[in-house]
This record gives sequence, structure tokens and C-alpha cells, in this order.
Amino acid sequence: MANGYTQRPSASAILQVILLVVALAVPLFGGAYWIHVGAILWYYAILASSWTLLAGFAGQFSFAHLMFAALGGYASALIVLHMGTAYFPLAIFIGLVLAIVVGALIGFMVLRLSGPYLALFTLAISEVFRMILIAEEQVTRGSLGLQVPRFFKGDSDVPYYYLGLALLIGSMLLMGFLLHTRVGLFLRAIREDEGATQASGVNTTHYKILVFVVTSGIAAIAGIYYAHFIGILTPNMMILPEMGIVIAMAVIGGIESLPGAVVGAAIVYLLSELLRDYGELRFVLLGLALVLVQRFARNGLLPLIDRIGRRPAAVSSRLSAPGGTSEKPHGN
Amino acid sequence: MSYFSLLTVNGLVIGLIYALTAAGLTLIFSVLRVVNFGHGAFYMVGGYVSYYAIRSLGLPPVGGVVVAMAALFLFGVLFEILVMRPVYTDEVERKDEYAIIVTFGMTILLSNLAIVVFGPFSKSPPPFMAGTLILGPIILPYDRLIAALVAIALLCATTWFLARTTLGQALDAVSQNRESAAVIGINPRRMYTIAFGLGSALAGGAGALIAPIFALSPSMGDLPVVQAFIIIVIGGMGSVGGSIAGGILLGLAQSWGVGYLPDPNRALAYTQAFGAVLLIVTLLFRPTGLFGRVHLRLE
Amino acid sequence: MKFSRGIGVVAAAVLSMASAAAPAAEPVNLGWVGPLSAPGNYSSGQEMRWAVELGVDEINKAGGVLGRPLKIFYEDTKGQPSEGSAAAVRLITKNKVSAIFGEFHSSVALAEIDVAHQYGVPWVGTDVWSDDITAKQYPEVFRLAPANSLIYVKIADWIAEQGFKHVATVAENTDFGQGGAKVVQDTLKKKGVADTPATIDLNQQDFTPSLIRLMSQKPKPDLLQMIVAGQAQYQIVKQACQLGFAPNADTKMIGSSGLLQKDVWEVDGECANHLLIVNVARPKSQWNDKAKGFVKAFQQRYNRPPTGVAMEAYDTLGVVVAGIEQAKSSDPKAVIKGLENVHYTGVNATYSFSTDKTPAWAYHQFMDVPFTVIQYTQMNQAPEDAAIVYPKEWATTDKILPVK
Repeated sequence: MANGYTQRPSASAILQVILLVVALAVPLFGGAYWIHVGAILWYYAILASSWTLLAGFAGQFSFAHLMFAALGGYASALIVLHMGTAYFPLAIFIGLVLAIVVGALIGFMVLRLSGPYLALFTLAISEVFRMILIAEEQVTRGSLGLQVPRFFKGDSDVPYYYLGLALLIGSMLLMGFLLHTRVGLFLRAIREDEGATQASGVNTTHYKILVFVVTSGIAAIAGIYYAHFIGILTPNMMILPEMGIVIAMAVIGGIESLPGAVVGAAIVYLLSELLRDYGELRFVLLGLALVLVQRFARNGLLPLIDRIGRRPAAVSSRLSAPGGTSEKPHGN
Repeated sequence: MSYFSLLTVNGLVIGLIYALTAAGLTLIFSVLRVVNFGHGAFYMVGGYVSYYAIRSLGLPPVGGVVVAMAALFLFGVLFEILVMRPVYTDEVERKDEYAIIVTFGMTILLSNLAIVVFGPFSKSPPPFMAGTLILGPIILPYDRLIAALVAIALLCATTWFLARTTLGQALDAVSQNRESAAVIGINPRRMYTIAFGLGSALAGGAGALIAPIFALSPSMGDLPVVQAFIIIVIGGMGSVGGSIAGGILLGLAQSWGVGYLPDPNRALAYTQAFGAVLLIVTLLFRPTGLFGRVHLRLE
Repeated sequence: MKFSRGIGVVAAAVLSMASAAAPAAEPVNLGWVGPLSAPGNYSSGQEMRWAVELGVDEINKAGGVLGRPLKIFYEDTKGQPSEGSAAAVRLITKNKVSAIFGEFHSSVALAEIDVAHQYGVPWVGTDVWSDDITAKQYPEVFRLAPANSLIYVKIADWIAEQGFKHVATVAENTDFGQGGAKVVQDTLKKKGVADTPATIDLNQQDFTPSLIRLMSQKPKPDLLQMIVAGQAQYQIVKQACQLGFAPNADTKMIGSSGLLQKDVWEVDGECANHLLIVNVARPKSQWNDKAKGFVKAFQQRYNRPPTGVAMEAYDTLGVVVAGIEQAKSSDPKAVIKGLENVHYTGVNATYSFSTDKTPAWAYHQFMDVPFTVIQYTQMNQAPEDAAIVYPKEWATTDKILPVK
């Protein structure tokens, strides 16, 4: 993840490489349980990182992210169920296209909205979609659950693990590339001050819709992966608490950092697995962590690690810059 | 005709009750410009506080409401001081997101803590008045009627408070323009704290009032908070009168929708959709809502 | 003689010392699944867990299973099928359980049994009624709870017999609700009884508009049936009662397990009086000593009386343990065989599993599920003191209150 802005790799970059190596090695040493956990983790990581692009970088605080995952998953599942597993590629394609079209539509509808209005709007649309999934039981099997054919034959989760990891890396590369180009620059500019950006001649509409298209497509991919891995879909995959978990992952890891979101996903999901014995207290801790991280480490934990890894002089000069601790764009 | 009037009265009453849950939210939004996603949790805690106050102190149901409001006021103030401060001390670049995330985290924390502390079984405080009012075709349980009446009273009191008292006017001033208010000697920070406390108290009071109607459970705030959001958007964020209008609109939409949609089965399943659609339509065509103040930041 | 006896004594002493000095016996691991948080039905899930915990302590005090301590891993499946799958995978691959048991939500159970089948680990259902669970005929899957077809056919027959002509059925949008509603509707149709369905989502609070709609039908329903599990029924009861719809002389009201919990009196007050309830449990008059002992112990430990659901949960544990003892092994494959041959007397019934393949759901289903339809006849009544209106051999009354 070299970025061309800083001279030597940051502490967080080193951490990322280490984590990548560990991730690749898990199926060799981990055992069935951890492979299964990892395969589910990739689903959340893809969602958290794409949401970070949407909300953290572009400032579009959307609650509809899981709707795209559900849309992709259900569309693909229904096509395969009705036409046969030979049609997997078509199903995936249609799921993706559907999500992208809806994403563009929503991006268009929220052009004039921001902040809590955008949040509430996307929440309302998401809830209506969820109700449709529940009510139209004849098609979706609603709360009864839709049984979905899996991608791979056999009982092992290893192929899913690597597929998920590949999808995660692929989407990260895509998003990272995007951020490196003018697109990234404009998105950040739009987030900071849309009026000024527009005045500078940037077609903000174009970029706002673009970011919705890209992130909804990625979310749909995550949903399709999830559907054909877990093998069962219910409308509960998109309830508000699930969106809350994705937000928590992005925030805790670093809302302005794609790898940060992945690390956040790992922290939140693995912790919730390890703390299973504590029942509901897990979520109490999650809520607490969310509040504390926002209160004391606003940009998330990964940038915090970065800061610790940097020379003190650089840190203090950064702190005294206006606008607090915003960091120079460095494509991460 | 009586079918229609029954549905309408029911919709009106429930709408007023919804409006009460929205009142606290709108107050916090108008002064702090913050949408309190923790509103549902405060509502739930208010309900439980009232229940235990009635149970252990032997208070009448009204006493429970008062205790709930007082307790939530204190809790709101504490939360504001400890957690919400960064919203306006320029430590935070993205105030909206900070507020959303932090209040959301509060909800997750409180809801799950409630399961652990209060247990999973439904509880119900005693009704304000048992029995049902029957007037011709109208059938209305007394506790709903009373809750609706108290809701009107509280909402009017809040409106009066904001318009007529010094403190209320100070809050109003801050909601309109922070800097100008500061210039004329109002301490914005103190106003924020008070606003958050009052908003939380209203949420807690709503929970205490509604608990006898819908029963207590740790997840009881989940639905009301979504409905409250819908109401404040429809009615206009920052307008208490708007909350009343929005609440009534939502209550009627749900009642008529479920009562008249051709497929009764589907109609019931889409109960919440009526409100969500109202919200979507409002944001698309009249984002400031029915009575919202135009100058309130939309972008 | 003396010498060999002496050797015998010494040998015995040495052996017992050796086993005492040996490391503690490896525990028998079992996995329990059920809802302990939203959106699952956590009040019933909690009751089930408590019953199992009580059972585990009793078993371990009495020496454990096959001389080994019993250890249960509890998984919160939240009423979500994906959680069920994940929990099953965890229990099997991480905790290496010999069997999985429990569950309250049919949709979740369907997800869990796929995993159980994949790994060949036995799964025993406590309170999940969808026909499909056993109709899939997985060799690993057994069920104590009734199948919808087992119970609701009989309930529908009873409804027709009692002379009800217009039923309104409110069913939850899950496998239990929809499955049960369909069975009832089909049976009632054959008997010429009209049935209007209404599907609800468990998260709703206000059913008034829908109830108004149902009660405004011409002719007005004479029975309001709820195929809804858990305490969500309380709101339906309360609102129907406040509207003057049911339960009363014109319209009776019948529901299921959640109405058995004592909280119904706190939430519904007088409205809970005259409720009819499908109770999967033996009537008090038929309680064996085990049942009496269980009720007493549960009340003492948890400060609330157990309902039929708790009894089922307690018995499921007993059945699984019996299966292990029958198999003389904790290996999952052996336990499956053990369960097929099990004959265990619990608090609710004496259990064994059918191997009939028709109807499809009869496979590995416990067929003699004891159930009654009870009616509360006074305020704050406990289920075991309520009047029994069905079946005839246990009935304490032939009237349904209030009489017109």
C-alpha cells in the first residue's frame, strides 16, 4: 500500500502487511472454526470499507448500505433458485446491476440532503425495502428464510474464505485506486465544502452519484458472497442493529481509512466472537467502545497507531495545524 | 361510517402519543443541531424508571411519570456534558457524524444493558385509568385517551415554554443563531446542556406515559424512535407544533392504510411502511417539513 | 480364600486410587441453541435455558453422564437463521459437542439442522413446530416438540366440533406461524368453517387498526386465534379486549405458549381471563413425581413457575443424555443410534422417536406429545390450575366461558 506521499512506510502500513500475511495463512493453521469466522469476517470487512468510502471520504452518511447487500443477495439467490446453478454468472451480474441502478437512483434522490436528513432518508428507504422483503413472502419467503444454493460443493469453508479475501482485496484495490485519482480529491472536497467545490467548477452531482454507484455495487458483491456462502437469507440481515455494527466497525477502525475499516471489522467481529460467553454484555461493550472511540480517538484506532508510530516532532506540528488532527491525504 | 370514525379516532389518539415521543427529539435537534439516535433508549429507560418508582415507592402512575422525567433530565445532562461536548468545541470536524455515532452507541449500550439488568420478561405498570370509553361507534381505552391528553398538554407546555419564558427564549435564540445568542450574553453551552436534558426528560416522560399502553421490554424503544424520526422530518425539525402535526399525520396514515388497503394481510405487514413513505416523500419534495424553519441547516 | 479376597480388596483399593489419581474425566460437551436477545423471543429462550441449567446441575450432582461431567455451551441464536448456522458450526467445530439441542424458532432450526446434517451431529428440537424440520428426514434430526400437523389438525378439528363458524387467525410471519396457519386453514376448510388470515411481524406494537378491520367483518368472527409464540400475544390480547372484540361471550380467543407465563396477568390484567391456550404439557392431574419435583425446584431457584416450554426444555436435556447413555458413548454417530432407541421418562411424557416415513414429518418425531387446551377461569390463575377443555379424557369442564 505504498502511497507516494510519505517517505517510509507508516506503522499502520506495516501492520496491514502483517495482517495480510496472517490472513493468508489462517486456513493452513487455523482449524474449521476460525476459517468459518474468517469467511464471515470478509463479508463485514467489505461492507465496512465501502461504507467508509461513502460516509468517511465522501461524507454521505447513508443507512441504506445493507439494503444493497440484501438486494444483491436476494436477486442473485432468486435467479439461481429459479433457473438453476448453471446461471450463477448471470445471477451475480443481475444482482450487481440492480444494486448499481438503485444506488444511482438513491444517489440522485439525496443530492440536496446531507447530515441527519440524508441519514434518515436512507434509513426510511432501507426500512421500506426490508418490509417488502418480509411482506412479499410468496417471492422472498420473508422471515421464514430463503434457502440459497452455495457456490462450492462440499463441506469445507476454505474456498469461501479465500473467495471472500480475494473480493475484499479486489474492492480495496478498486476503492484505493479511485481515491488516488481526482475522484478521491473531489469527494473529499465535496465533503468539506460542497459549495466551494461546486464554485470551482466541479460537477459535484456527478461525483456524488458515482460514489453511490461504486459503493452500492461493492455492497451488493458482499451480499451475493454472503448469500451463496451462508446458504440462507432473511430480511434480518439488514435490520438497524446490523447497520450499527457496520458503522461501529468503520468508526472504530478509522472512518477515513479503508484499511482502518477492515481492521475495525476484525476487531469488532473477532471480539464479539471471543466474548460470546458474556451474552448481552458483548453489545454493551460494543456500544461503550463506540462512544469512547468517538470521544477520545475520533479518527479511529488505525490512525492512532500511525500517530504513535510517527516522530514526535511531526505529531506536534500536525496537532497545531488548524482543523485539528486531520491528516494529509495519503491514499490509505 | 362507524368503521371510518373508529379508525380515525384511533389514528388521532395514537398519533398524538407518537407526537409526544417526537417532542424531545425535536427540541434537541433545534438547539444542538443534533439528531439523538439514543432517543429510543431514553424512552425505554424512562418507562422502566417509572415502573420501578411506582412499584417500590408506591407512587401513583402520574408520580412515576414525574420521577422518570426528573431522572432522565439528570441523565441527559450528564450524557451531554461527558460525551456531547466535542460537538461544539471545534474538536470534531464532522459534527453530524460524531453525534449520530455517539448517540447510536448509547442506544446499543443501553438496550443491551436493559436486557441484562431488567430481564427479558414483559412488565407493565398499572394503567392511569382502567376501562374503555364507549361513545357510539367510538371505542377508546382510557389510558390511551389520557396519554393523548397529557401529550397535548406537555406539547403545549413545551411550546409555551420556548416562546414565553426567559429560559425558553434563550434556548430558542441559541437554536436560531449560536453566535448572536452568545453576543447578547446567553451562554450557549449551558443552553445545550439544558436542551439535551429537557429533550431526554420528554423522552423519558413519553416512555413512562406509554408504558401502561404497550408494556415494557428492553426493545420497546426501537420502533418509537424510528416513528419519532419520521414525525420530526414530516413536521419539520425544530418545530414542536410540527411534531404534533406530523404525529397526527403518521397516526392517521397508519390507521387508514391498515384499515383500507385492499389486501388486509399485506396492509398489516406494511404498517410501518406508510410512515416511511411519508418521510421519503417529504424529504424529496418539502425537505424542511410542514412547519420547519427554512433557515435550519439542510446542507 | 482369605488370600484371594485380600488380593481382591487390595486390587480394588489400588484401582480406585488409580482412578482418583487419574486426571478428571473428560466432560461430555453438548450445545444448547435458542433466542436470548432481540429480535428473537428471548423471554421463552431464557426460560428454556434456565430449565436446562437446572437439569445440568442435577445431572452433575448425581455423577454426570457416563461418569463424566456434563458441560453445556449456550448459544444465543436471536431468532435469526444465520445466527443459527453460525452457532451450529461453532458448537460442532470449536466446542466439539456430541449433540445440539434446544431452539424456539422454526426458521432458525431449519438453518441449524442443515449444519448438523453436514457434520453428522445429532440435533434435538425443543419447541420448534414447523413440519419441515422432521419432514426433511435428516437422520441426525429428532424432535420432542410437536409438528404443526400433529397439533393444529387436532386443534382445528376441535374448533369445528365446538361449533365455531367464523375464525380469524393472526399468525406470525415465521415457519411456525405460517405453517400452523396453513394446517388450520386447510383442516377448517374441509369442515366448512371460514377462516380469515392476518399475518403479523413480531416487532409491531399496535394491532388496533387490523383488529378493527377483523372485528368489522360481517359476520363477526366468533373465534380469534393467535398462532404467535411468546409475549407478542399480550398486545394483541390487550388491544382486542379494549376494543370489546375478544375474549368475550361473542368471540373467544385462543393462543399459545407465551400466554402461559405469569407476566400475562401483569400486562393484560382482566383481559387475560377466559383466554384459551394450547398447552404442550401434561395436566397437573397427570404429573408424575419427576414433574412435581421439577416444578418445585424451578420455582425455588428462579422465583417463577415453569411453563410447558420449560418442561420441554428440561426433558430435551434428559432425552439427549438418555441417548448418550443408551449409546454408551459420546461420539455423535453413536448418539444418533442411541436416540433412535431411546425410551426415556421425563416430566412431560415418556419419549421415543418414530421411524415412520409417512407422513414425512413423522420421522424421528415424538408422536405422543401431550397437549391440552386450557382456559383461564379466574384472575392470576396458574396454567396448571386452569380448566381443561380438550382432550376429553383429561377435560375438567365441557363449557367454554363465558357462556352466552
